[in-house]
Amino acid sequence: MLNQLTITNRWYWGATMVSLLAALAMTVWFAPLESSMGPIQKIFYLHLPAAINTFIAAFVVFAAGIRYLWTRDSRWDLLAESAARVVVLYCAVVLVTGMIWAHVAWGRWWTWSPRLTFSLIMLLLYVVYLAMRPAIESARRREVVSAVYGLLAFLDVPLVYLSVKLLPDIHPSSVELEPAMQATLAVWFVPISLLCVGLIAARYQLGAHGQSHAHLDHEHAPAAGFVGAGGGGRT
Amino acid sequence: MNALRDIALLVAKDLRVEARGRYTLPLLCVLGILFVTVLGLGLASRGDGVGPNAGAVLWVAYLFGGALCFEKTMAVDHRDDALAALLMTPIDRGVLFVSKWIANVLLLSVVAAVVTAASLLFLGLKVNASPSVFIRVTVLGLAGFAAVGTLFSGVVATTRMHGGLLAAVVFPLCLPLVLASARLLNDPQSIGVFGLGESVLVAFDLVFLAVGWLTFDLLLEA
Repeated sequence: MLNQLTITNRWYWGATMVSLLAALAMTVWFAPLESSMGPIQKIFYLHLPAAINTFIAAFVVFAAGIRYLWTRDSRWDLLAESAARVVVLYCAVVLVTGMIWAHVAWGRWWTWSPRLTFSLIMLLLYVVYLAMRPAIESARRREVVSAVYGLLAFLDVPLVYLSVKLLPDIHPSSVELEPAMQATLAVWFVPISLLCVGLIAARYQLGAHGQSHAHLDHEHAPAAGFVGAGGGGRT
Repeated sequence: MNALRDIALLVAKDLRVEARGRYTLPLLCVLGILFVTVLGLGLASRGDGVGPNAGAVLWVAYLFGGALCFEKTMAVDHRDDALAALLMTPIDRGVLFVSKWIANVLLLSVVAAVVTAASLLFLGLKVNASPSVFIRVTVLGLAGFAAVGTLFSGVVATTRMHGGLLAAVVFPLCLPLVLASARLLNDPQSIGVFGLGESVLVAFDLVFLAVGWLTFDLLLEA
Protein backbone atom coordinates (compact mmCIF):
# COMPACT_ATOMS: atom_id res chain seq x y z
CA MET A 1 0.00 0.00 0.00
CA LEU A 2 2.83 2.39 0.90
CA ASN A 3 4.49 1.73 -2.45
CA GLN A 4 1.28 2.54 -4.33
CA LEU A 5 0.90 5.78 -2.38
CA THR A 6 3.80 7.46 -4.14
CA ILE A 7 5.20 10.80 -3.08
CA THR A 8 4.07 12.30 -6.38
CA ASN A 9 0.54 10.87 -6.34
CA ARG A 10 -1.37 13.97 -7.36
CA TRP A 11 -4.76 12.56 -6.42
CA TYR A 12 -3.70 11.80 -2.86
CA TRP A 13 -2.01 15.10 -2.16
CA GLY A 14 -4.71 16.96 -4.07
CA ALA A 15 -7.39 15.40 -1.84
CA THR A 16 -5.30 16.31 1.22
CA MET A 17 -5.00 19.93 0.11
CA VAL A 18 -8.70 20.22 -0.77
CA SER A 19 -9.80 18.77 2.55
CA LEU A 20 -7.35 21.05 4.40
CA LEU A 21 -8.72 24.11 2.60
CA ALA A 22 -12.29 22.97 3.33
CA ALA A 23 -11.42 22.51 7.02
CA LEU A 24 -9.81 25.95 7.18
CA ALA A 25 -12.80 27.53 5.47
CA MET A 26 -15.21 25.83 7.87
CA THR A 27 -13.10 27.00 10.84
CA VAL A 28 -13.17 30.63 9.66
CA TRP A 29 -16.72 30.96 8.28
CA PHE A 30 -18.84 28.07 9.53
CA ALA A 31 -17.80 27.20 13.10
CA PRO A 32 -19.24 29.65 15.65
CA LEU A 33 -17.12 31.48 18.21
CA GLU A 34 -17.02 29.79 21.61
CA SER A 35 -18.58 32.13 24.15
CA SER A 36 -16.04 31.97 26.99
CA MET A 37 -12.71 31.48 25.16
CA GLY A 38 -13.35 33.30 21.88
CA PRO A 39 -11.27 32.73 18.70
CA ILE A 40 -8.48 30.82 20.48
CA GLN A 41 -10.86 27.88 20.97
CA LYS A 42 -10.57 27.25 17.19
CA ILE A 43 -7.05 25.93 17.72
CA PHE A 44 -8.79 22.88 19.20
CA TYR A 45 -9.82 21.77 15.66
CA LEU A 46 -6.14 21.20 14.85
CA HIS A 47 -5.09 20.15 18.36
CA LEU A 48 -7.36 17.13 18.84
CA PRO A 49 -6.93 15.47 15.39
CA ALA A 50 -3.15 15.95 15.69
CA ALA A 51 -3.22 14.31 19.16
CA ILE A 52 -5.25 11.31 17.93
CA ASN A 53 -2.96 10.87 14.91
CA THR A 54 0.09 11.04 17.19
CA PHE A 55 -1.19 7.91 18.95
CA ILE A 56 -1.91 6.21 15.62
CA ALA A 57 1.62 6.93 14.37
CA ALA A 58 3.06 5.74 17.71
CA PHE A 59 1.09 2.51 17.29
CA VAL A 60 2.61 2.12 13.79
CA VAL A 61 6.11 2.43 15.37
CA PHE A 62 5.14 -0.22 17.93
CA ALA A 63 3.54 -2.64 15.43
CA ALA A 64 6.30 -2.23 12.83
CA GLY A 65 8.90 -2.83 15.56
CA ILE A 66 7.23 -6.08 16.60
CA ARG A 67 6.94 -7.11 12.94
CA TYR A 68 10.64 -6.32 12.46
CA LEU A 69 11.64 -8.45 15.45
CA TRP A 70 9.51 -11.26 14.00
CA THR A 71 10.75 -11.11 10.39
CA ARG A 72 14.07 -9.19 10.57
CA ASP A 73 13.01 -7.42 7.38
CA SER A 74 14.61 -3.95 7.25
CA ARG A 75 11.53 -2.49 5.56
CA TRP A 76 9.62 -2.74 8.85
CA ASP A 77 12.38 -0.81 10.60
CA LEU A 78 12.16 1.83 7.89
CA LEU A 79 8.40 2.05 8.37
CA ALA A 80 8.85 2.40 12.15
CA GLU A 81 11.43 5.15 11.70
CA SER A 82 9.16 6.98 9.23
CA ALA A 83 6.25 6.80 11.67
CA ALA A 84 8.46 7.97 14.55
CA ARG A 85 9.30 11.13 12.59
CA VAL A 86 5.59 11.79 12.18
CA VAL A 87 5.01 11.16 15.90
CA VAL A 88 7.61 13.83 16.71
CA LEU A 89 6.12 16.28 14.20
CA TYR A 90 2.51 15.77 15.31
CA CYS A 91 3.40 15.72 19.01
CA ALA A 92 5.23 19.03 18.52
CA VAL A 93 2.08 20.42 16.87
CA VAL A 94 -0.02 19.21 19.82
CA LEU A 95 2.42 20.73 22.28
CA VAL A 96 2.71 24.09 20.49
CA THR A 97 -1.05 24.45 19.96
CA GLY A 98 -1.60 23.47 23.59
CA MET A 99 0.91 26.07 24.74
CA ILE A 100 -0.69 28.79 22.61
CA TRP A 101 -4.07 27.88 24.08
CA ALA A 102 -2.58 27.83 27.61
CA HIS A 103 -1.03 31.27 27.12
CA VAL A 104 -4.41 32.76 26.27
CA ALA A 105 -6.50 30.75 28.74
CA TRP A 106 -4.17 30.67 31.76
CA GLY A 107 -1.81 33.59 31.01
CA ARG A 108 1.38 31.51 30.78
CA TRP A 109 3.01 29.43 28.09
CA TRP A 110 3.73 26.43 30.28
CA THR A 111 2.20 24.81 33.32
CA TRP A 112 2.87 21.31 34.66
CA SER A 113 -0.66 20.21 33.92
CA PRO A 114 -0.98 16.44 33.29
CA ARG A 115 -1.88 16.80 29.61
CA LEU A 116 0.94 19.21 28.74
CA THR A 117 3.41 17.09 30.71
CA PHE A 118 2.12 13.96 28.96
CA SER A 119 2.67 15.54 25.52
CA LEU A 120 6.16 16.68 26.49
CA ILE A 121 7.21 13.24 27.76
CA MET A 122 5.79 11.57 24.65
CA LEU A 123 7.71 14.00 22.44
CA LEU A 124 10.92 13.27 24.38
CA LEU A 125 10.42 9.50 24.04
CA TYR A 126 10.25 9.64 20.25
CA VAL A 127 12.92 12.34 19.86
CA VAL A 128 15.26 9.95 21.68
CA TYR A 129 14.13 7.12 19.34
CA LEU A 130 15.34 9.18 16.38
CA ALA A 131 18.41 10.65 18.11
CA MET A 132 19.89 7.32 19.21
CA ARG A 133 19.75 5.71 15.77
CA PRO A 134 22.78 7.44 14.21
CA ALA A 135 24.86 6.60 17.31
CA ILE A 136 24.61 2.86 16.62
CA GLU A 137 27.02 1.98 13.81
CA SER A 138 25.86 -1.54 12.95
CA ALA A 139 22.68 -1.46 10.84
CA ARG A 140 21.39 -4.73 12.26
CA ARG A 141 21.98 -3.62 15.84
CA ARG A 142 20.40 -0.22 15.17
CA GLU A 143 17.27 -1.90 13.82
CA VAL A 144 16.94 -4.31 16.74
CA VAL A 145 17.56 -1.63 19.39
CA SER A 146 15.11 0.74 17.68
CA ALA A 147 12.45 -1.97 17.53
CA VAL A 148 12.82 -2.78 21.24
CA TYR A 149 12.89 0.92 22.16
CA GLY A 150 9.78 1.60 20.03
CA LEU A 151 8.02 -1.29 21.81
CA LEU A 152 8.99 0.04 25.25
CA ALA A 153 8.14 3.64 24.37
CA PHE A 154 4.62 2.61 23.35
CA LEU A 155 4.17 0.47 26.49
CA ASP A 156 5.42 3.47 28.50
CA VAL A 157 2.65 5.74 27.16
CA PRO A 158 -0.16 4.43 29.47
CA LEU A 159 2.23 4.60 32.43
CA VAL A 160 3.07 8.20 31.59
CA TYR A 161 -0.66 8.90 31.33
CA LEU A 162 -1.30 7.40 34.78
CA SER A 163 1.70 9.08 36.40
CA VAL A 164 0.84 12.58 35.17
CA LYS A 165 -2.58 12.13 36.78
CA LEU A 166 -0.73 12.59 40.08
CA LEU A 167 -0.09 16.22 39.09
CA PRO A 168 -2.69 18.88 39.87
CA ASP A 169 -4.86 19.45 36.78
CA ILE A 170 -6.28 22.73 35.50
CA HIS A 171 -6.85 21.42 31.97
CA PRO A 172 -10.51 21.09 30.87
CA SER A 173 -11.46 17.41 31.15
CA SER A 174 -14.27 17.56 28.58
CA VAL A 175 -15.37 20.10 26.00
CA GLU A 176 -19.00 20.54 24.97
CA LEU A 177 -19.32 21.38 21.29
CA GLU A 178 -22.23 22.73 19.29
CA PRO A 179 -23.25 20.67 16.21
CA ALA A 180 -21.49 23.13 13.84
CA MET A 181 -18.31 22.80 15.93
CA GLN A 182 -18.58 19.00 15.88
CA ALA A 183 -18.94 19.04 12.07
CA THR A 184 -15.86 21.28 11.73
CA LEU A 185 -13.86 19.02 14.04
CA ALA A 186 -14.92 15.95 12.04
CA VAL A 187 -13.80 17.61 8.78
CA TRP A 188 -10.41 18.49 10.34
CA PHE A 189 -9.75 14.79 10.99
CA VAL A 190 -9.66 14.16 7.21
CA PRO A 191 -6.67 16.33 6.15
CA ILE A 192 -4.73 15.67 9.36
CA SER A 193 -5.12 11.90 8.97
CA LEU A 194 -4.35 12.01 5.23
CA LEU A 195 -1.27 14.10 5.96
CA CYS A 196 -0.18 11.61 8.65
CA VAL A 197 -0.40 8.62 6.30
CA GLY A 198 1.07 10.62 3.40
CA LEU A 199 4.08 11.79 5.40
CA ILE A 200 4.80 8.27 6.70
CA ALA A 201 4.53 6.92 3.14
CA ALA A 202 6.70 9.70 1.70
CA ARG A 203 9.42 9.20 4.29
CA TYR A 204 9.25 5.41 3.83
CA GLN A 205 9.68 5.74 0.08
CA LEU A 206 12.58 8.15 0.42
CA GLY A 207 14.25 5.71 2.82
CA ALA A 208 13.59 2.74 0.53
CA HIS A 209 15.01 4.72 -2.39
CA GLY A 210 18.15 5.44 -0.34
CA GLN A 211 18.44 1.76 0.57
CA SER A 212 18.22 0.62 -3.05
CA HIS A 213 20.93 3.15 -4.00
CA ALA A 214 23.07 1.84 -1.16
CA HIS A 215 22.67 -1.71 -2.50
CA LEU A 216 23.67 -0.54 -5.99
CA ASP A 217 26.73 1.25 -4.57
CA HIS A 218 27.61 -1.92 -2.71
CA GLU A 219 27.33 -4.08 -5.84
CA HIS A 220 29.34 -1.71 -8.07
CA ALA A 221 32.01 -0.75 -5.54
CA PRO A 222 35.58 -2.06 -5.97
CA ALA A 223 36.39 -5.17 -3.99
CA ALA A 224 38.55 -3.32 -1.46
CA GLY A 225 37.54 -0.08 0.22
CA PHE A 226 34.78 2.44 -0.49
CA VAL A 227 32.06 -0.15 0.23
CA GLY A 228 28.95 1.40 1.75
CA ALA A 229 30.23 4.97 1.38
CA GLY A 230 26.92 6.14 -0.02
CA GLY A 231 24.69 3.91 2.05
CA GLY A 232 24.89 5.51 5.45
CA GLY A 233 25.63 2.11 6.91
CA ARG A 234 22.21 0.70 6.02
CA THR A 235 22.89 -2.37 3.90
CA MET B 1 15.49 -24.42 40.22
CA ASN B 2 18.36 -24.41 37.73
CA ALA B 3 17.44 -20.87 36.72
CA LEU B 4 17.50 -19.74 40.36
CA ARG B 5 20.89 -21.40 40.87
CA ASP B 6 22.23 -19.74 37.69
CA ILE B 7 20.92 -16.36 38.81
CA ALA B 8 22.54 -16.77 42.25
CA LEU B 9 25.86 -17.78 40.66
CA LEU B 10 25.84 -14.86 38.21
CA VAL B 11 24.88 -12.30 40.86
CA ALA B 12 27.63 -13.66 43.14
CA LYS B 13 30.07 -13.40 40.23
CA ASP B 14 29.15 -9.75 39.57
CA LEU B 15 29.38 -8.84 43.26
CA ARG B 16 32.71 -10.68 43.59
CA VAL B 17 34.12 -8.80 40.58
CA GLU B 18 32.96 -5.54 42.14
CA ALA B 19 34.37 -6.44 45.57
CA ARG B 20 37.77 -7.34 44.10
CA GLY B 21 38.10 -4.49 41.63
CA ARG B 22 35.95 -1.79 43.31
CA TYR B 23 35.17 -0.45 39.81
CA THR B 24 31.79 1.06 40.55
CA LEU B 25 30.63 1.44 44.13
CA PRO B 26 33.24 3.85 45.63
CA LEU B 27 32.90 6.15 42.61
CA LEU B 28 29.09 6.10 42.79
CA CYS B 29 29.03 6.84 46.52
CA VAL B 30 31.39 9.80 46.14
CA LEU B 31 29.36 11.02 43.17
CA GLY B 32 26.11 10.69 45.16
CA ILE B 33 27.52 12.78 48.03
CA LEU B 34 28.76 15.36 45.50
CA PHE B 35 25.28 15.58 43.93
CA VAL B 36 23.70 16.14 47.34
CA THR B 37 26.33 18.77 48.17
CA VAL B 38 25.84 20.66 44.90
CA LEU B 39 22.03 20.50 45.11
CA GLY B 40 22.18 21.47 48.79
CA LEU B 41 24.23 24.56 47.95
CA GLY B 42 21.56 25.53 45.44
CA LEU B 43 18.37 24.53 47.23
CA ALA B 44 18.93 24.34 50.97
CA SER B 45 21.57 27.00 51.61
CA ARG B 46 19.00 29.18 53.39
CA GLY B 47 18.81 26.60 56.16
CA ASP B 48 15.21 25.49 55.71
CA GLY B 49 16.09 22.13 54.09
CA VAL B 50 14.93 20.85 50.72
CA GLY B 51 11.33 20.58 51.95
CA PRO B 52 9.02 19.60 49.09
CA ASN B 53 11.98 19.04 46.71
CA ALA B 54 13.34 16.02 48.58
CA GLY B 55 12.06 13.46 46.08
CA ALA B 56 13.49 15.38 43.13
CA VAL B 57 16.90 15.78 44.84
CA LEU B 58 17.13 12.06 45.56
CA TRP B 59 16.08 11.13 42.03
CA VAL B 60 18.63 13.43 40.39
CA ALA B 61 21.32 11.59 42.36
CA TYR B 62 19.82 8.15 41.57
CA LEU B 63 19.44 8.88 37.85
CA PHE B 64 22.95 10.11 37.17
CA GLY B 65 24.55 7.63 39.57
CA GLY B 66 22.46 4.83 38.06
CA ALA B 67 23.42 5.65 34.47
CA LEU B 68 27.08 5.44 35.47
CA CYS B 69 26.45 2.23 37.43
CA PHE B 70 24.79 0.42 34.49
CA GLU B 71 27.53 1.52 32.13
CA LYS B 72 30.36 0.41 34.40
CA THR B 73 28.89 -2.95 35.41
CA MET B 74 28.38 -3.84 31.74
CA ALA B 75 31.82 -2.45 30.78
CA VAL B 76 33.39 -4.91 33.24
CA ASP B 77 31.81 -7.76 31.29
CA HIS B 78 32.79 -6.28 27.92
CA ARG B 79 36.42 -6.02 29.04
CA ASP B 80 38.52 -8.91 27.71
CA ASP B 81 35.40 -10.25 25.94
CA ALA B 82 34.05 -11.69 29.20
CA LEU B 83 30.51 -11.09 27.92
CA ALA B 84 31.21 -13.07 24.75
CA ALA B 85 32.41 -15.97 26.91
CA LEU B 86 29.30 -15.63 29.07
CA LEU B 87 27.08 -15.75 25.98
CA MET B 88 28.72 -19.00 24.91
CA THR B 89 27.58 -20.74 28.10
CA PRO B 90 24.22 -22.59 27.97
CA ILE B 91 22.51 -20.01 30.16
CA ASP B 92 19.17 -18.52 29.19
CA ARG B 93 19.56 -14.85 28.25
CA GLY B 94 16.59 -13.96 30.44
CA VAL B 95 18.50 -15.41 33.40
CA LEU B 96 21.47 -13.26 32.42
CA PHE B 97 19.22 -10.19 32.37
CA VAL B 98 17.71 -10.96 35.79
CA SER B 99 21.12 -11.56 37.36
CA LYS B 100 22.49 -8.28 35.95
CA TRP B 101 19.33 -6.53 37.13
CA ILE B 102 19.66 -7.91 40.68
CA ALA B 103 23.35 -6.93 40.83
CA ASN B 104 22.47 -3.41 39.64
CA VAL B 105 19.61 -3.10 42.16
CA LEU B 106 21.95 -4.15 44.98
CA LEU B 107 24.63 -1.64 43.94
CA LEU B 108 22.03 1.12 43.50
CA SER B 109 20.57 0.31 46.94
CA VAL B 110 23.97 0.95 48.53
CA VAL B 111 24.24 4.24 46.63
CA ALA B 112 20.66 5.13 47.67
CA ALA B 113 21.55 4.46 51.33
CA VAL B 114 24.60 6.74 51.08
CA VAL B 115 22.65 9.47 49.26
CA THR B 116 19.78 9.25 51.77
CA ALA B 117 22.20 9.49 54.71
CA ALA B 118 23.90 12.50 53.11
CA SER B 119 20.49 14.11 52.46
CA LEU B 120 19.41 13.51 56.08
CA LEU B 121 22.61 15.15 57.25
CA PHE B 122 23.03 18.03 54.79
CA LEU B 123 19.56 18.74 53.41
CA GLY B 124 17.30 18.14 56.39
CA LEU B 125 15.48 15.32 54.59
CA LYS B 126 12.65 13.95 56.76
CA VAL B 127 11.75 10.27 56.47
CA ASN B 128 10.67 9.58 60.07
CA ALA B 129 7.00 10.32 59.31
CA SER B 130 6.65 7.09 57.30
CA PRO B 131 9.97 5.26 56.85
CA SER B 132 8.24 2.13 55.53
CA VAL B 133 6.67 4.12 52.67
CA PHE B 134 10.02 5.74 51.94
CA ILE B 135 11.79 2.37 51.72
CA ARG B 136 9.00 0.75 49.68
CA VAL B 137 8.80 3.58 47.15
CA THR B 138 12.59 3.83 46.83
CA VAL B 139 13.01 0.07 46.28
CA LEU B 140 10.16 -0.07 43.72
CA GLY B 141 11.60 2.98 41.92
CA LEU B 142 15.16 1.66 41.83
CA ALA B 143 13.95 -1.77 40.66
CA GLY B 144 12.17 -0.27 37.64
CA PHE B 145 15.02 2.10 36.86
CA ALA B 146 17.55 -0.76 37.03
CA ALA B 147 15.38 -2.88 34.70
CA VAL B 148 15.46 -0.23 31.95
CA GLY B 149 19.14 0.58 32.54
CA THR B 150 20.24 -3.07 32.53
CA LEU B 151 18.31 -3.73 29.31
CA PHE B 152 20.01 -0.96 27.33
CA SER B 153 23.44 -0.98 29.00
CA GLY B 154 24.57 -3.96 26.90
CA VAL B 155 23.87 -2.12 23.67
CA VAL B 156 25.19 1.27 24.60
CA ALA B 157 28.59 -0.09 25.67
CA THR B 158 29.39 -0.80 22.01
CA THR B 159 28.28 2.53 20.50
CA ARG B 160 30.12 5.77 19.89
CA MET B 161 28.32 7.74 22.60
CA HIS B 162 28.61 5.36 25.61
CA GLY B 163 27.25 6.88 28.84
CA GLY B 164 25.68 9.93 27.25
CA LEU B 165 23.54 7.75 25.03
CA LEU B 166 22.54 5.46 27.90
CA ALA B 167 21.29 8.43 29.91
CA ALA B 168 19.43 9.82 26.88
CA VAL B 169 17.76 6.46 26.20
CA VAL B 170 16.92 5.52 29.78
CA PHE B 171 15.81 8.84 31.30
CA PRO B 172 12.73 9.50 29.10
CA LEU B 173 11.51 5.92 29.57
CA CYS B 174 11.87 6.33 33.35
CA LEU B 175 9.99 9.62 33.59
CA PRO B 176 6.68 8.03 34.76
CA LEU B 177 8.67 6.18 37.42
CA VAL B 178 10.48 9.34 38.53
CA LEU B 179 7.26 11.36 38.55
CA ALA B 180 5.34 8.83 40.64
CA SER B 181 8.25 8.08 42.98
CA ALA B 182 9.23 11.73 43.55
CA ARG B 183 5.59 12.59 44.19
CA LEU B 184 5.28 9.85 46.84
CA LEU B 185 8.63 10.70 48.44
CA ASN B 186 7.62 14.36 48.68
CA ASP B 187 4.23 13.54 50.19
CA PRO B 188 4.21 10.05 51.79
CA GLN B 189 0.73 10.66 53.23
CA SER B 190 -0.73 10.68 49.69
CA ILE B 191 0.09 7.00 49.17
CA GLY B 192 -3.13 5.66 50.76
CA VAL B 193 -3.51 1.90 51.08
CA PHE B 194 -2.33 1.19 47.53
CA GLY B 195 -2.74 4.39 45.58
CA LEU B 196 -2.24 5.38 41.95
CA GLY B 197 1.43 6.30 42.45
CA GLU B 198 2.39 2.93 43.88
CA SER B 199 0.34 1.14 41.19
CA VAL B 200 2.33 3.01 38.52
CA LEU B 201 5.59 1.90 40.18
CA VAL B 202 4.53 -1.75 40.35
CA ALA B 203 3.16 -1.73 36.78
CA PHE B 204 6.36 -0.10 35.50
CA ASP B 205 8.53 -2.72 37.23
CA LEU B 206 6.46 -5.61 35.87
CA VAL B 207 6.32 -4.28 32.29
CA PHE B 208 10.02 -3.51 32.05
CA LEU B 209 11.14 -6.72 33.76
CA ALA B 210 8.95 -8.77 31.42
CA VAL B 211 10.14 -6.96 28.29
CA GLY B 212 13.75 -7.12 29.53
CA TRP B 213 13.48 -10.88 30.11
CA LEU B 214 12.05 -11.38 26.60
CA THR B 215 14.30 -9.03 24.60
CA PHE B 216 17.69 -9.01 26.35
CA ASP B 217 19.03 -11.73 24.04
CA LEU B 218 17.94 -9.78 20.95
CA LEU B 219 19.82 -6.70 22.12
CA LEU B 220 22.97 -8.59 23.11
CA GLU B 221 23.24 -10.70 19.98
CA ALA B 222 22.30 -8.10 17.34
